[in-house]
Amino acid sequence: MTGKTGKIISGLVLLAALLLLPHLLQYHHQDLLIFLTINVLVVASYRIVTLTGEWSLIHAVMMGVGGYTATLAFKQFELGMWFTLPLAGIVAAAIAALLCFPLFRMTQFYFLIGSFAAGEAIRLCWIQFVNPFGGTGGLSGVEPPLIGNIDFLEPVPYYYLTLVVVGMCLFILHRIEKSRIGLILHSVHWNSPLAESVGVDTWRYRALAFIIGSFFVGVAGGLKVHYLGTITPNQFGVGFMVFILIWVIVGGYNRFYGPVIGVVVLTLFDESIRSLEELRPAIYGAVLIASILFLPQGLESIPTRIRRLFSRKPENDSSPSNK
Amino acid sequence: MTILKIDRVTKQFGGLTALDQVSFAVEAGEIRGLIGPNGAGKSTMFKNIAGFYAPTSGDILYQGQSICGQKPHSIAELGIVRTFQETTLFQELTVFENVLVGCHKRARSNLFNAIFRLDRERQQMAADKVIEVLEFMGLSDRREQLASELPLGSQRALAISVALASEPSLLLMDEPFAGMNPEETNHMMDLTRKVRESGITIVLVEHDMKAVMGLCNYLTVLNFGKLLAEGTPDEIRNNDRVIEAYLGGAK
Amino acid sequence: MELVIQSIINGLIQGGFFALFAVGLVLIFGVMGVVNFAHGELVMIGAYTIWLVHAQYGFPYLPTLLLAIVLVMGIGLLMERFLFRPTRSDPLAGLICSIGVLFILQVVATLIGGDGPSKQVPPPLDGTLVVLEFIRIPYQRLFGLGVSALALLTLWYFLTRTRLGWALRAVALDREAAALQGININVISFIAIGVGAGLAGLAGGLMAPLTNINPHMGHNVIITAFIVTIVGGVGSLSGAVYAAIIYALFHTFVTVYLGGTVATICGLILMVLVLIVRPTGIMGVRVSE
Repeated sequence: MTGKTGKIISGLVLLAALLLLPHLLQYHHQDLLIFLTINVLVVASYRIVTLTGEWSLIHAVMMGVGGYTATLAFKQFELGMWFTLPLAGIVAAAIAALLCFPLFRMTQFYFLIGSFAAGEAIRLCWIQFVNPFGGTGGLSGVEPPLIGNIDFLEPVPYYYLTLVVVGMCLFILHRIEKSRIGLILHSVHWNSPLAESVGVDTWRYRALAFIIGSFFVGVAGGLKVHYLGTITPNQFGVGFMVFILIWVIVGGYNRFYGPVIGVVVLTLFDESIRSLEELRPAIYGAVLIASILFLPQGLESIPTRIRRLFSRKPENDSSPSNK
Repeated sequence: MTILKIDRVTKQFGGLTALDQVSFAVEAGEIRGLIGPNGAGKSTMFKNIAGFYAPTSGDILYQGQSICGQKPHSIAELGIVRTFQETTLFQELTVFENVLVGCHKRARSNLFNAIFRLDRERQQMAADKVIEVLEFMGLSDRREQLASELPLGSQRALAISVALASEPSLLLMDEPFAGMNPEETNHMMDLTRKVRESGITIVLVEHDMKAVMGLCNYLTVLNFGKLLAEGTPDEIRNNDRVIEAYLGGAK
Repeated sequence: MELVIQSIINGLIQGGFFALFAVGLVLIFGVMGVVNFAHGELVMIGAYTIWLVHAQYGFPYLPTLLLAIVLVMGIGLLMERFLFRPTRSDPLAGLICSIGVLFILQVVATLIGGDGPSKQVPPPLDGTLVVLEFIRIPYQRLFGLGVSALALLTLWYFLTRTRLGWALRAVALDREAAALQGININVISFIAIGVGAGLAGLAGGLMAPLTNINPHMGHNVIITAFIVTIVGGVGSLSGAVYAAIIYALFHTFVTVYLGGTVATICGLILMVLVLIVRPTGIMGVRVSE
């Protein structure tokens, strides 16, 4: 099958590009590349939450839960990164599981606000309880691992490490979405009474999506803190949550890779307007509004739109090959 | 054998009584019609049976067991599956995927199996079931179309396919003929009979009297939330109280 | 004892401000179905107007207050016309657009006032009312309480006693039915957001001399407004007013004894509890399916 070979080839090209990329960049941009890679995991994990149709506003805080877990595990129990990363995911997932009981009694608008309130309460706890969370100033002194004589403090090795972890997580997320579970999550979104009428426990699936998403964003939080070395409550505030929303919406949330495109394109865009300093948030805001008004399906719909423009035929929504 | 027993079910919304001490029983293997003028409480009764509402008082027994207060998905698990008024489908999914969702009981997967693809056999069985159901309902050649692209008649057939895929023993059909032309109605009546012949008991709420009279072997008539009459189509047709209810009402 | 009475009075005054912006949020949500995330920024712009025009350029306070109301109202009308109206079929789109506005308004504030320390506006009304020798209420706060009460009473009169107010409530109850009755939804939406944004501008203008003004002050405002709206019952204006007063008293007391962060945490937990136990809020009615 030519389609399959094409996919394999484009996959290999992409892999080679990802491996080469850091060597073509300056130090500052290598830094950025690591955060971008982590943010790819953030949006991909957010997508699985939105699959059921619920827009949560607690995702950023869940990343913080992972980050603080990794930090405390590292500092208090001297665990290495191989333990702190899974632990970060597990603790975030566990807190998400607890939150399911209040939050998934709500839907739509109420869920949105409820998740926002729960997240903000958790975040304020980090500020309030200076011991162990360090208050507004947060915590510092987290270090990346040392394997043999490779120093992961350097961006390039840490980038490869991040790439491996994020790649594994994306693979798992993609598999979940393409499995029976993914189908049911879609069905819960599009018509939850119908799904219920054929025996789908919609509550359980909403909760499952939320827990899976929280697990992976928790891992992302762990990755971030091990590189950055410090963690503060303000890294995970509404501001960051809004960025997640923007990435996902501008990228388009109808396909798996839509949010990924969103975060990559907008990060590049953000870099290109770096000189505008304090104007940047406003430009971001304008881009957000423009994409809602003029490109409601997101960037990922552009190829389809162009194709439709040229082929005049009623379009049949064939998805372009997996990037 | 009685498959479903409604025992003095009352449903109130605030001060409004939608169902008032309604009792009736459905025998296994029949096609039962639940009819009555608008606002008689037919749809409310359906929602109570399928678990979307809980009765204010009274009991609902399925195969001798009370199912009152259970969630819709557990009731579906027991074998009572409803279709919806108007056409309710997963519009954004293909015909095949729609029915595949319906196979939930058979194909359920857990996270571990989903990630490591350990239940291929099971998913294959579900896919086979989908093909079987689509064949049965005459939708095989539309498998890859989006549900939203189907004509009305096929959409209704698909809605029933989704329900059938979950392997019910009791199928509740909410106005399956609404908005259909005579040709589509006839086709749907044939399909409904076919479903019954495959061993599934059917209860249907319907306004199309011609279809109801031609299809059902027994009718239950509700009026203002109360049981008005029960009997064979012929008996109901000649029942004075029923005639009065329909003529005195909006119709 | 003195502390208790003083706290009650401070709480009441705070409650008036809370009510002003929460009622606006409820009005906009009720009529237009949009959660206006930029509502806190509208309040912030109101406060900045006072800081810039009154405190920096010495324009008298009362006309500036009026200017703040009109200005913020104008921003609201623009939002409705160019953002919320085109996205009316999709409430999420409206919410996202309001987040975009939030960013833009914050940058506008930064450009006007710089990113330095928070701004202060000296109270235009000097002096303090002293009752029974131990209760002290600065006249500025008293003025704020009076104006909020007056504004809320006017709103109440408008909504319950005028034909336009009736139309507004009809749209909030059932938009489609109201449209069938010949009510012009676009006009009503303009009025709703005009009133809602105007109240936010007023709240900002009244709070300006009593609080720290900075581009990020909207954050606390929106959290408070959410708590008040949810606790009061989404869509219930009187519920929002009661909830505003109750929450302000609660917040003032917890702040006095345990600190501001704990007070907000408690408020958020309270809100989640209300969402679980009674999603329709203390004053809301359950809408049947």
